[in-house]
Amino acid sequence: MTAELKIEGLRVSVAGKEVLKGFDLTMGAGEVHVIMGPNGSGKSTLAHALAGHPGYQVLDGSVTLNGVDLLSLSPSDRARHGLLLALQQPLEVPGVRPYDVMAAAGAPLDGLRERMIDEAERVVLRPELLERFLNVDLSGGERKRAEMVQLGTLRPQFAMLDEIDSGLDVDALSAVARRLQAATTEWGCGVLAITHFSRLLQELTPTVIHVVSAGRVVATGGPEMADILERDGYEPFRDLARA
Amino acid sequence: MSTFFDHARAQLATHDDTLRQQLWERFVEVGLPSTTDEVWRYAPLSDFDLDNFVATDSSSDVAPLASALAAHAGVTVHLVDGVLTSVDGAASGLSISQSPAETSIAFEHYDGDAFALLNGALTPNPVTIRVASGAVIDAPLLIVNTTTRSNSFPQLIVDAGDNSALSVVEYLSGGENALVVPLTELRVGVNASLHFTTYQRLAPTAWHIARSGAYLAKDARLRQSVISLGGHYNRSRNDADMVGMNAENELRTTFLGTGTQIHDYRTRQFHIAGRTRSTLLSKGAVADTARCVYTGLIEIEKGAKRTDARQTNHNLLLSPHAHADSVPNLDIRENDVMCAHASSVGPLDELQRWYLESRGVPREAAERLMIQGFFYEMVATFPEGLGAIVEADITQALAAATVVTP
Repeated sequence: MTAELKIEGLRVSVAGKEVLKGFDLTMGAGEVHVIMGPNGSGKSTLAHALAGHPGYQVLDGSVTLNGVDLLSLSPSDRARHGLLLALQQPLEVPGVRPYDVMAAAGAPLDGLRERMIDEAERVVLRPELLERFLNVDLSGGERKRAEMVQLGTLRPQFAMLDEIDSGLDVDALSAVARRLQAATTEWGCGVLAITHFSRLLQELTPTVIHVVSAGRVVATGGPEMADILERDGYEPFRDLARA
Repeated sequence: MSTFFDHARAQLATHDDTLRQQLWERFVEVGLPSTTDEVWRYAPLSDFDLDNFVATDSSSDVAPLASALAAHAGVTVHLVDGVLTSVDGAASGLSISQSPAETSIAFEHYDGDAFALLNGALTPNPVTIRVASGAVIDAPLLIVNTTTRSNSFPQLIVDAGDNSALSVVEYLSGGENALVVPLTELRVGVNASLHFTTYQRLAPTAWHIARSGAYLAKDARLRQSVISLGGHYNRSRNDADMVGMNAENELRTTFLGTGTQIHDYRTRQFHIAGRTRSTLLSKGAVADTARCVYTGLIEIEKGAKRTDARQTNHNLLLSPHAHADSVPNLDIRENDVMCAHASSVGPLDELQRWYLESRGVPREAAERLMIQGFFYEMVATFPEGLGAIVEADITQALAAATVVTP
């Protein structure tokens, strides 16, 4: 059976305000789905709700991973079932080392340190930064790359990336995009990338692009969608959201 | 049955020492504190009776980490019940001795402190660690401070000469049902650097009432860390007087309270000269029905211009029955200063915990990592090699703690 992540009619509120208003998306192993949309359209809300962030309340809808009801699981079980979120602003956790987190997250201990170093090198992150406490004293760009190290180490079936491209310079962005592209074939990782920019897509080939506006998917298309957005912006899609 | 006073008088009779006699008489005059004294209000003094601490032998299983730690130290000093029993290794410019009195602590600073007076009267003799001017001691000095009897009054003086550098790790263990009252004085000379770390692993039945006083000359740097896991009642008072211009003091304290433990931390950063800097970070956690209190005073003398003083206290509550108090105090008599303090009492940070959980770390393991992290942050400043041993020991100790989160 190939892996499948299925989101149906998902409604989510943040601080009492409904932000996702019936979100649908289905993706399979090794696919790259890109979610693009203006600020406030609900992109990050989707990512946080799927990862079980305590500030996001699911009102309705379902999310299944290979048929398992993800929303009934704890945040850690969601990750262990194969859905991992790379955050836009990874949190600092003082006193906690990346290695210990990966071990506690269930990464096989055999050769773990070596795998982490290898992953760091693939996204051009100095491996010695992995000895620092989790995200402490790292720059914004280094934190993003540290998230990629976790992803490469844990090898989830599906990876959600919340604006992984922001704060990265061109070289780092390119390394991250290549790492994600490789993941799709190395272990059939499905990639769900949330982004504002089409630059990420120069080295990460999207299977599908979803345009999100006002909490719903308003348009879905192939890689050509990125060019349309680049040319016309999000404005034409806002009307679709109101429709 | 003999009383503590009989025991103390017998001890005093073995020394021909007027200072001890005076300190003892002063102790008798001052008397034991009571919880109506503000600075003792959190101590379980109703259970405290000096006569409980006169039997001779205490714990047998002592200093399990000593040899592992010693492997990473340049010089290892063993103190047993305050008596210097051995010095292994040597370093040029470093001298260690135990001898009466001429180097004694300036007790006028401790008048009215019953336990400091008791230490002065009953200590076997002050142990003095002296670093010669200009001597930079690379390898850390380890002090294995063990309590095997039911009372112990170790007295330690570290005298770092001008332009010298030394790193000391003190490891306290033993003390089953014992009263352990260490008194430590740290003298940091002009442009000298001293790093002094205390790892307190006494028995959970010990009464540990420790006090340290530091005196920093011009351009001196003192980095002090206190990590406590043991003790029924653990009191740690750490003062620093920045006497010379541009002196710098960093103090980090941390603890884990379990069972019915009480951790009572007191600090005083006294800025006497200008352009002096102090940073204090106190982080602790209480589980079960443990309690903790942090009382910190930043005092800035008139004329101590351009002083920069920062004090941060965070207490974690790991059970709904645990309790933490935080009492920061400022006494500032100069306008041209920077001074900041922050304190918090609460459960573990929910978002940090979620972040770990979202990686696949189960909640309980995430909480344990975060609590461990409190200590690991402190251990991060340890000398090379010693940190890993202490980390492993802390991890083992924490594994026994129960965390109940809301």
